[in-house]
Amino acid sequence: MKLRLGEGFERLIDMLKERFDPFFHSLADGLTAAIRGLEAVLLLPPSYVIIGLLAAASWRLSGLGSAVLSALGLLLIDKMGLWQATMETLALVLSAAVVSLLLGIPLGIASTYSRWMERLMRPVLDLMQTMPAFVYLIPAVLFFRLGKVPGMVATVIFAMPPAVRLTQLGIKQVPRDVVDAAIAFGSTPRQLLFQVQLPIALPTLLAGVNQTLMLSLSMVVISAMIGAGGLGEEVLKGITQLRIGLGFESGIAVVILAIVLDRLTHALGQSRTRPS
Amino acid sequence: MNERQRSMPALLLAALAGLLLGATGCKKEQPAQATQAPAPQGKGVVKLVYVNWAEGVAMTHLARAILEDRMGYQVEMTMADVAPVFTAVANGDSDAFLDGWLPITHKDYLERFKDKVVDLGPNYEGARIGLVVPSYVKASSIEDLEGLKAELDGQIVGIDSGAGIMTTTEKAVSEYALGLKLVPSSGPAMTATLKDAISRKRPVVVTGWKPHWKFARWDLKFLEDPKGIYGGAETIHTIARRGLEQDKPEVASFLRNFKLDDQQLGSLMGAVAETRDDPARAVREWAKQHQALVDSWIPKA
Repeated sequence: MKLRLGEGFERLIDMLKERFDPFFHSLADGLTAAIRGLEAVLLLPPSYVIIGLLAAASWRLSGLGSAVLSALGLLLIDKMGLWQATMETLALVLSAAVVSLLLGIPLGIASTYSRWMERLMRPVLDLMQTMPAFVYLIPAVLFFRLGKVPGMVATVIFAMPPAVRLTQLGIKQVPRDVVDAAIAFGSTPRQLLFQVQLPIALPTLLAGVNQTLMLSLSMVVISAMIGAGGLGEEVLKGITQLRIGLGFESGIAVVILAIVLDRLTHALGQSRTRPS
Repeated sequence: MNERQRSMPALLLAALAGLLLGATGCKKEQPAQATQAPAPQGKGVVKLVYVNWAEGVAMTHLARAILEDRMGYQVEMTMADVAPVFTAVANGDSDAFLDGWLPITHKDYLERFKDKVVDLGPNYEGARIGLVVPSYVKASSIEDLEGLKAELDGQIVGIDSGAGIMTTTEKAVSEYALGLKLVPSSGPAMTATLKDAISRKRPVVVTGWKPHWKFARWDLKFLEDPKGIYGGAETIHTIARRGLEQDKPEVASFLRNFKLDDQQLGSLMGAVAETRDDPARAVREWAKQHQALVDSWIPKA
């Protein structure tokens, strides 16, 4: 006898869709507006303004070398005519990362409080990271329609686990005697968390932010299959019509964006580790 | 220095949050940017979905140009993969898909969603699926493949497993007792294999369909199919969501009228392929040259 696990999943999806359709749709509308808005903000000033801002930020955070690299890379993207697609992708990646962190960090903190929570979370996180994205793309389309939002949902599912895991790891690494001392001096649990554990865990936590951003970027091509647009769409156009040049250029743009984001967030974590 | 650095992540996060929040206010800007062409009057938004297949790209852009320039609608186009596209139309989130292949290739999707989508009829007849080889390959019929087994490495290069053409090809392999293995891959992998084989003048056989840009790029031929496994010609249909005919009858009848013959679709795809990055301009130019045809599609008020 064959166990029909998939049929159960299908029925669950149908049921959720029927029950919560208006909710999912208004959520989708809200998120679409947010992502589109961020896109509009990024595209509002001429490209060199954004390039300048990003280069300045990476100068401040990780030095002149990174700033020059970022500026040159972004200029190259602009010259290849991929600026709009790149900003669309950046908007999608940033929105997905913000949602991932808003969900992931509290979940990570929660899992340090209870072993039960940690045990429950682990297989769920494994599932989120290893389930092939194609499997949940269609349910995402059913709930959130075609476009940027299902793309963002797929990205969040894929990119959130490191935020949870590294938050948890960071807090666990806080030396026991520091925690004991804080308790001995009479800190409340809230003080312990916000003034002792989180500040010490911050470098690890920021490594989680960095990971989340990198993983988000690697989802862009897949989310183009459900209409998310941006660089993924260009890559997809390149590969489905064997326009190797276009595929390569948009692929390079993804890499440049990854380098820029990595330098920015990596430096953020590094500056923390220096003794104050 | 340290104090300032400490505040950086917080600042960045705050800036991000500000962007996201402030962003919702900017929503109205989008439609304003999208309408560049002078349209008679605003009649609402038509959502067209397409897959990045050359004929669909060309036809969908043409339909958009006409709906916008001549009929006063605003058109949103979304590109996605085929399964999400059918899902979106069936779900009612998209109005129409102009690239549904019938009766074989997209049969599975149509059967699955038969209560949720409406077939607005063919927009192109004379499409075809079958086994395709470069013209230098000696075979002229599927039966001839038998003798080429060794040179073909015993395989037929297929596309996505689960595609209609794959099921049909499985049937062909067994009916003709070819002894070849049908290897599933993907559309891009199939064309890449073809490109590679052609550059080395090696025999190769792929699952192919027409219209497809590969016929413009290389000299290819369909193998004859004496047993008729692949059926006659396929037609490309416009698939609409249920309810489009009620809420936008004018759009539905335009889409019903929208029809291209082999020569017209060929020249349209050619024009789009030439401009590469600007299909919108190519189709407007094409529409100007085919004024009478375009006029005949637009429903009289």
